[in-house]
Amino acid sequence: MKHSVYMTVLLALCLTGLHFRGPVPATAPAGKLRLVFHHQVGKNPLELGALCQNSLGDSITIERFKYYVSHFTLTDSKGRQWKPDPQYFLIDEEIPGSKIITLQVPDIDIGQIGFLLGVDSAKNVSGIQTGALDPLKGMFWTWNSGYIMAKLEGTAERSPSPGHRFTYHIGGFRFGMNTARAITLQIPPANQPLREIHITADINQWFSGASQINIAETPVCHTPGSLAMRFADNYQNMFSIHSAR
Amino acid sequence: MRIAKNTWVLLLILLACAGWVAADNAYFRPKPIIFKVPKGWPQPVYDFSKNPLTEEGFALGKKLFYDGRLSKDGNFSCGSCHQQFGAFNTYDHSLSHGYNNALTTRNAPGLFNLAWQKDFMWDGGINHLDLQPLAPITAENEMAETLENVIAKLKTDKEYRKMFKAAFGDETINTQRLGKALSQFLLQLVSSNSKYDKVKRGEASFILPEQLGYQIFVQKCISCHTEPLFTDYSYRNIGLKMDDVLKDPGRMRITTRPEDSLKFKVPSLRNVAMTFPYGHDGRFFSLMNVFEHYRKNMVVSATTDPLFRNKLPLSNYEIGQLTAFLYTLTDSSFLKDPRFAAPGADNHTKPPADIHR
Repeated sequence: MKHSVYMTVLLALCLTGLHFRGPVPATAPAGKLRLVFHHQVGKNPLELGALCQNSLGDSITIERFKYYVSHFTLTDSKGRQWKPDPQYFLIDEEIPGSKIITLQVPDIDIGQIGFLLGVDSAKNVSGIQTGALDPLKGMFWTWNSGYIMAKLEGTAERSPSPGHRFTYHIGGFRFGMNTARAITLQIPPANQPLREIHITADINQWFSGASQINIAETPVCHTPGSLAMRFADNYQNMFSIHSAR
Repeated sequence: MRIAKNTWVLLLILLACAGWVAADNAYFRPKPIIFKVPKGWPQPVYDFSKNPLTEEGFALGKKLFYDGRLSKDGNFSCGSCHQQFGAFNTYDHSLSHGYNNALTTRNAPGLFNLAWQKDFMWDGGINHLDLQPLAPITAENEMAETLENVIAKLKTDKEYRKMFKAAFGDETINTQRLGKALSQFLLQLVSSNSKYDKVKRGEASFILPEQLGYQIFVQKCISCHTEPLFTDYSYRNIGLKMDDVLKDPGRMRITTRPEDSLKFKVPSLRNVAMTFPYGHDGRFFSLMNVFEHYRKNMVVSATTDPLFRNKLPLSNYEIGQLTAFLYTLTDSSFLKDPRFAAPGADNHTKPPADIHR
């Protein structure tokens, strides 16, 4: 009897231990942390179908904006990390509910939050997935297997393509073409433990992040490759913490 | 005494109930199918542990393969472009016909021995067999349907709900199960019973031209069309001039590397007598056209395979013997296997009379 109690305790310890890197924080998942994503074009909130101006001075209308996030990592002030079970989320401007993610987290002081923008390469090579990764979500290339990590579509007067549309489907997971990006954001001082983190994604960064991409010259990106990589290097800068409480 | 008896009866009833509850899971016992690797063949690359073969899964996969509802207008099943009498190619068609009078941009290859294949399509763009059917289903010039609509159509069909439950344990119908079920059918299309195989097993012997052809084959063809699958699954430029309408760069479309320009997957030569026309765009209607290409018409460019620096010299005599050997790769028991035949379509199991061979 005593034996089995010890074994259970040991097993429980092992199982909780699996989630941690470094010393084990004192508590197991204790509460819910809500991550709320806000989409903006510069300082203005994104409104699908409404005319706005991007950072390069183009008058644009955005019709679709969605992207994958996964592999969350929370780091406390002592550098200890907490990784919730791997889960994939498709954040879609069209579906307000998709912009709020709830994670089960322990009561730790969160100093930093990290996540992957996109889908890791392992999931790109292991057949058909379900849930958010189901290919019927329209975020998967069937002719050149792999996920579209992020999608931005709309119209711009200066776009030379039919209907003055611009369509950016950014994907690619192979070596040298990987468009998934690890995002790390510092949490500003706040009352801990946190229950809500508001994250802003600024679409302007797609056009003028690491390098400038002009709609008049580049209205379309539909394949993995160097252009997709430039977009990825741009959008990896689009996130910032709006507030945390 | 009576109390004890009642207790026993109660206990028995409870046990029976518990049995029913437990049976909800335990009742799902599909009939496993053992995948036999032909003697002397390498191990398959498909991970069967993620999709164990069962009779129920196979039956579902076969029904899906031959169901036109997977296409937008109901006219195009997988089987309409992958016909059994052509080793599941589109018989006698350079390009296949799709939705709204469209043509495909590449020749539909035969389907067999797919468990050994790592990448799919002529350019290797698809990296898993389960994913492969999604490309023709959604391509505008093929089946032109959305995955959402396919799943919705299947869900309304009582027979399908029953079959998905039998194959997977519950009535959930989703993209993953659609792909897995189709793989169940496709994986079992194993062609390993040609005259060549019988000779290798000591059950038959080559006649002289076949034997001489085999020797020439070993000398001149085998480095790419490797035994026993008769392909090494590599991508090579065999000096095919780019078609000025299709403008197909081949493997480069996937890798974006200029050195992959005009490279296409080495096709298997099993059942080659039945899989004409040949080449990624079906430009060669006969084996003779292919031999002529190799010995005379090849366009040697920067990315052409080093093996073909001097083209591939072949004499008329060698072509004759090689042809005799290639005919021994036809697996007639595979071409006529009733397990793979379209449901209730006896008259479709024979190829139309043709003049191209």
